[in-house]
Amino acid sequence: MALTLTCPICGKRNGYEFRYGGEDKGSRPDEKGLSPADWCDYVHMNTCTAGVQKEWWFHRDGCGAWFSTYRNTLSNLEVDRPEDST
Amino acid sequence: MKRLRQFPTLHIDTNETRSLKYRGKSLQGFAGDTVATALYANGIRIFSRSLKYHRPRGLYNLDGESSNTCMEVDGVPNVRTENTLLKDGMVVKAQNVKGSVDHDLMAFIDKLDWLMPAGFYYKTMHKPAAVWPVAMKAIRKAAGVGTISADYKVKGRYDEIFLTADVCVIGGGAAGMMAALTAAESGVRVIVLESRPHLGGCWDYRTGAYKENKPLFARARELAGQVENTSNIRVFKQTSMVGAYNNNLITAFQVGKSNDAFTERYVEIRSKSVVVATGCIERPLIFENNERPGVMQVACAHRLARSYGLLPGEAAVFSIGHDLGLEAALDLFDLGLKIRCVADIREDGHDAGLLAALAERKIPVLKGWVAAKAHGCKQVTKVTLATLDGTVKRHIPCDLLVASAGHTPVNGPLILAQTNIAYDNHSGFFLPKKLPEKMFSAGWMTGRSHPQAIEASGQVAGLKALAAIGVTDKTAVFAAEKEAAALPGIDRGCKLVTAPVKGRKSFICFDEDTTIKNIKQAIDMGFDVPELIKRFTSAGTGPGQGGIPGHNLPLFVSKYTASASKPMPTAVRPPLVPTLLATYAGAHHHMFKRTPLHASQKKGGGIFRNIGVWQRARYFSSDFDCKDEILNVRNNVGLLDSSTLGKFRIFGPDALKALQRLYVSDMSKLKQGRIKYSAMCNDDGCVIDDGIVIKRGDNDYYVTTSSGRAGNTVEWFRYHTRYDGWQYHMVNLTDAMGVINISGPNARKVLKKIADADISNNAFPFAGYREFTVKNTIPVRAMRLGFVGELSFELHVPSSYMQSVWDMLMAAGAEFNIKNFGLEAQNVLRMEKGHIILGQESEQRTNLLDLGLGFLWDRKKTAAKTVGAVALRQAENDPGRFKLVGIRMQDDARAPRDGALIVDTHVRGYVATARKSFTTGEAVGMALVESQLSKPGSRLEIYEDECNEIRLQARVVPMPFYDPDGQRMKM
Ligand SMILES: [Zn+2]
Repeated sequence: MALTLTCPICGKRNGYEFRYGGEDKGSRPDEKGLSPADWCDYVHMNTCTAGVQKEWWFHRDGCGAWFSTYRNTLSNLEVDRPEDST
Repeated sequence: MKRLRQFPTLHIDTNETRSLKYRGKSLQGFAGDTVATALYANGIRIFSRSLKYHRPRGLYNLDGESSNTCMEVDGVPNVRTENTLLKDGMVVKAQNVKGSVDHDLMAFIDKLDWLMPAGFYYKTMHKPAAVWPVAMKAIRKAAGVGTISADYKVKGRYDEIFLTADVCVIGGGAAGMMAALTAAESGVRVIVLESRPHLGGCWDYRTGAYKENKPLFARARELAGQVENTSNIRVFKQTSMVGAYNNNLITAFQVGKSNDAFTERYVEIRSKSVVVATGCIERPLIFENNERPGVMQVACAHRLARSYGLLPGEAAVFSIGHDLGLEAALDLFDLGLKIRCVADIREDGHDAGLLAALAERKIPVLKGWVAAKAHGCKQVTKVTLATLDGTVKRHIPCDLLVASAGHTPVNGPLILAQTNIAYDNHSGFFLPKKLPEKMFSAGWMTGRSHPQAIEASGQVAGLKALAAIGVTDKTAVFAAEKEAAALPGIDRGCKLVTAPVKGRKSFICFDEDTTIKNIKQAIDMGFDVPELIKRFTSAGTGPGQGGIPGHNLPLFVSKYTASASKPMPTAVRPPLVPTLLATYAGAHHHMFKRTPLHASQKKGGGIFRNIGVWQRARYFSSDFDCKDEILNVRNNVGLLDSSTLGKFRIFGPDALKALQRLYVSDMSKLKQGRIKYSAMCNDDGCVIDDGIVIKRGDNDYYVTTSSGRAGNTVEWFRYHTRYDGWQYHMVNLTDAMGVINISGPNARKVLKKIADADISNNAFPFAGYREFTVKNTIPVRAMRLGFVGELSFELHVPSSYMQSVWDMLMAAGAEFNIKNFGLEAQNVLRMEKGHIILGQESEQRTNLLDLGLGFLWDRKKTAAKTVGAVALRQAENDPGRFKLVGIRMQDDARAPRDGALIVDTHVRGYVATARKSFTTGEAVGMALVESQLSKPGSRLEIYEDECNEIRLQARVVPMPFYDPDGQRMKM
């Protein structure tokens, strides 16, 4: 409940307003030649990072934007984009 | 009892009386009294009976640190009466009492304590296992903390408030007020939380000197005046902080005054920086019968007199370990209390001025002495004092024993914010090792008690809070710190925990009746860590939240185990003080949406149900089988309000791409002005929504969703296209457009009378879409759909015109005797046609193929990466899936209930919807069954709650049950 998130449109807001959208796993893989296992990994498997991860959030009680941001899962605080991430 | 009057420190208004009912009598108090002080003024000394031993308990503290004064007030049990302001007409009852609180029939249990050593519950009553259920009942009856009746309804208004601040100060004592004033000077927004009804902390009632000719209470009032008059400081009184979380999120509960719009409210504050200045509470002195009524803490006795005008007794003995005890003795003596003697644990280190003043009044001070035992059955009559080694004893008669070993900082707020605290040998306090980011502490809790040092620490903390948020720079902080450093520092504290006693009736925790003997037993059994001893003996787990044993337990454990390591504190968790669940629950927000036709549906006899976010007319008569409504649609014409359907405009250069991603069908084949029914799946191929898509222009679509999904549709579309950067807009028209469904063989005859267009079967055939006007004014989007299986028009009308169109249709249909129909009738009508409703014929695991809707899926559009397509391909050959089938009951008189199980030796499926069909005279329905059972003719056994072990018989039959060729909807 202490979480705040920075919506690219509305700015820093209370975490209550957002819905979590999962880890940032990259865009949908091509359907052609996709094995069931790979597909399942993409949809259901998570890295569950203990530390800073990039993830999706939806501003449900606000502008309705999906955006990605960085959060430290250990402190449950939004953090600046880490230096080594691309 | 006569009140002392006309002090500047009084918080009661003796001109305003308040009455309360207690034990059948009407008693009188004053405005500003707490429930407990009013009772005390009326001679009440025993407030409750203890949890285990039914010992009498009295007023000991005034801040709710123990359950001693927990009573039932206006039907609410466990109210801490000592810090609950008295309201006129309150009805107060003692709790955990058999008989009366003065003559408790269970009091004999006090003599049976030897039967109940530490961990008694854990070690007994489980062998044999059959003992427990019997014992449990007896124990729960004997040991209790009030009862609540099952049908009790909480009265009052519970609210919540969410605030932001630059600096939040917790604690409105001198240090907190200085911090607030210092921070506020820079213009930032400051919030002060104070748990008492007034600012001032312990200075509020103290007569000690702040400066020459200025007592502390005068200074406290001066500061309070400044704080209240500073426009950028917002003060919350009667507000107890209960939680602290990262990001400096502070939660608290505020008790409303009589003129507030709330009874209690939840307060949540996001503050950029926080100053904790919660001061100290007294550390209880432990001796035999240390909780006998008549024994109370120093501040309790002092405040009774100074704040409430009540002399706490007639003749007192003091057993204390700090100068505040001397100061209180002096002041209470001057107010008229006889003081037999003051036993001070300390051999030296007393304030010379206080000693001189006591000597002047001939009050004997025994240095190195301590109370060892309180005598008297229900109230103190005599005290045994002893030297610290217990070798010399003295007995002194008295009716009041003011006892306090020392002080302990109120560290809870810091600990909740993840501060590590450590024992400090000099002060005897647990002090923070390192404070969290942007959190600072000030005042007495830091170990200082000198008035100027307290104020200076508040100033420093205020400046640090500002520096932390970049409002001031470090130089201001350094300068203030330098000035503060010149003032008296951290006091030496008294470390004594217990008088020289064995401890059989020496209570370390009042709430749980835990004695020193119990703690020793636990340690002797091998428990060595305070945290575990706390669990095993329950010390500190009662309503007082560890206020009484919190400090003494670690000190005692360390001493008794002769441990070389420092005392270890026990954990603190939110809520820091007991809180009503009603306050957590907050206000009831009965929010729902109404359709534009709500009023006329109501007038038409609609019986409404809350369905999702909507209120919808489910029935139009008390016949919940809806026979008339159904037959009227089948044979004549009916009107349904379908406004809750989700409605969206999706447009923009990439709109088609978005549809291709989300819908299973190939939307590129949809031609302008045409309708397509389709479905959306999730990534597992499970159906999440169905509806129609209308192409109104290039990359301009109008789509409908089911009522329940409308709120999630934009999120869903945007989520599944979040990596693509596509340009398309979605406009939610759900509330902007209403929907009227006119159905039945006479539907066209009615609509024809008001539509400005040719709606004949040739001009507007089944599955067609038309846009036309009504009365040359009202734009209507019309579609011919067959959900209920009759000739049917679905009219999408701007919400503001809905009532007009409805009224026109009603008028036009009068000659045919047109009637409303509701949701339940629609449910049966569509079921007879085998049309599904998602959520009813499907659940989370049901995929598109299970429902027999595989024909909607276009498997060639792989480039669109359609959501669910990969999973559907995998599920195609999976034999282990459920299938949706039609069922007919053997007994047409009885349809099973929705959700009934289909079983043989185990569960094989379940009934989705089943009804007695008035149209066909059969009991039919739809069910999800294992694929082996899905062939027509398969026999099914249905289990229901009320089937009396006799299973209902059914068999699988083809769908639809009504008009299989679909002639009627194409009329
Ligand atoms: Zn936003």
